[in-house]
Amino acid sequence: MPKNQYFNHEGPWSDATGPLMCTDTGDWRTKRPVVDAERCIFCGFCAIYCPIQVVQMKGESHFEADLGFCKGCGICAQECPKNAISMVSEEEFQS
Amino acid sequence: METQKKKKVKPSKVLDYLKHDDPFSKGVAFCPGCGLELLLRFIPQVLGNDIVITGTPSCSAPVLLGQNKQSWHTLSYFGTLMTGAAANATGLVRYYRKAGIDNTVVCFNGDGTAADIGFGNLSGAAERNEPFIYICYDNEGYMNTGVQKSGTTPFGATTTTTPYGAVSKGKNLRRMNLALKMAMHKIPYTATATLSNLADLAKKLLKAKEAKERGFAFLHVFAPCPTGWGADPAHTIEICRRAVKTNYFPLWEAENGKIRMTQTVKKPKPVKNYTELIKKFSRLTDEDHEVLQDDVDYEYCILGGLSVLESECRLPEEAPTHEAKGESR
Repeated sequence: MPKNQYFNHEGPWSDATGPLMCTDTGDWRTKRPVVDAERCIFCGFCAIYCPIQVVQMKGESHFEADLGFCKGCGICAQECPKNAISMVSEEEFQS
Repeated sequence: METQKKKKVKPSKVLDYLKHDDPFSKGVAFCPGCGLELLLRFIPQVLGNDIVITGTPSCSAPVLLGQNKQSWHTLSYFGTLMTGAAANATGLVRYYRKAGIDNTVVCFNGDGTAADIGFGNLSGAAERNEPFIYICYDNEGYMNTGVQKSGTTPFGATTTTTPYGAVSKGKNLRRMNLALKMAMHKIPYTATATLSNLADLAKKLLKAKEAKERGFAFLHVFAPCPTGWGADPAHTIEICRRAVKTNYFPLWEAENGKIRMTQTVKKPKPVKNYTELIKKFSRLTDEDHEVLQDDVDYEYCILGGLSVLESECRLPEEAPTHEAKGESR
């Protein structure tokens, strides 16, 4: 059953009845957002301003980005009112 | 103690507006920090997933149209040409009305289509008062084809067609105020919005959906392009915020042509506060900044004047009521 309501085909050639297309955008990242759970006050600004909308609440402790898709733009770190998010170079995570 | 303190802080009110699912897949091929991506994911989460989007070749089209037989999202999209975007949306609206289907048609275009190439039929659709929402995301140029200048590119901006060199010193003309032009069509709803004020944007989207029952609704959304402007991707939201704080992009709405400011800045900062974040303005001298500042002040004065014009200039005894105006449309 098609998921969209009005057209069987999205445009001239694409089709939404199958699985959606998805790029490995986490691969583009050069810096990764690291959240300091102590300083997080649950305002949710990182979640609403994230262009990819991948910042999710992690239980009762803090917000965290899904690193599979995070492009590393750094908007969450810039907009955090408590400076709880810092952008750390991916080099430091390579083992 | 620590957890109690945390629970006191309420999450942002904007999250209350996001009542619907995000129809896009997680990994979508937009540049990092793209303002358009945030806007595109925001619209269906506020308006609902039963919207039909129609749009033109732009940065949004590769994602909305899909590639290689697969799709990036589960919305309904109809791709069309830049010269006929609003006319195409008119046809869709009329078909759905005849077929008895109740839905929202959103014509989603960049500033190139809205201000330059497709302005003729946008103006025509506004004059005929066709019942759909037209959203123009303004990144001040033709970013998808390689940063050419458009009608909304501001004075002094360096683009590939207005480069900085011996003869050309960036764009030497002022930008047009597209939203004001559309408000002068006296359509039921016109608004400007930006991404730093998301609650304001959500309210205006819902108002536009309501105004669509009466006719044409136009939304002008300021969406920075970090790649084309040479800005840090992390500064996308900060650029929007400073554009509002310097009155470079004032936030207002107009119902039936009656303008009302939705956000007034008490002490507007100099426009240099906004241009310092963006590389395309990096060659501006102090004199150029004065020209840009004059332009910004002039446009803001006109807007402020129009917002109080009716109450100051109207003759009280023979003035038609606001309701009568609305009915005549």
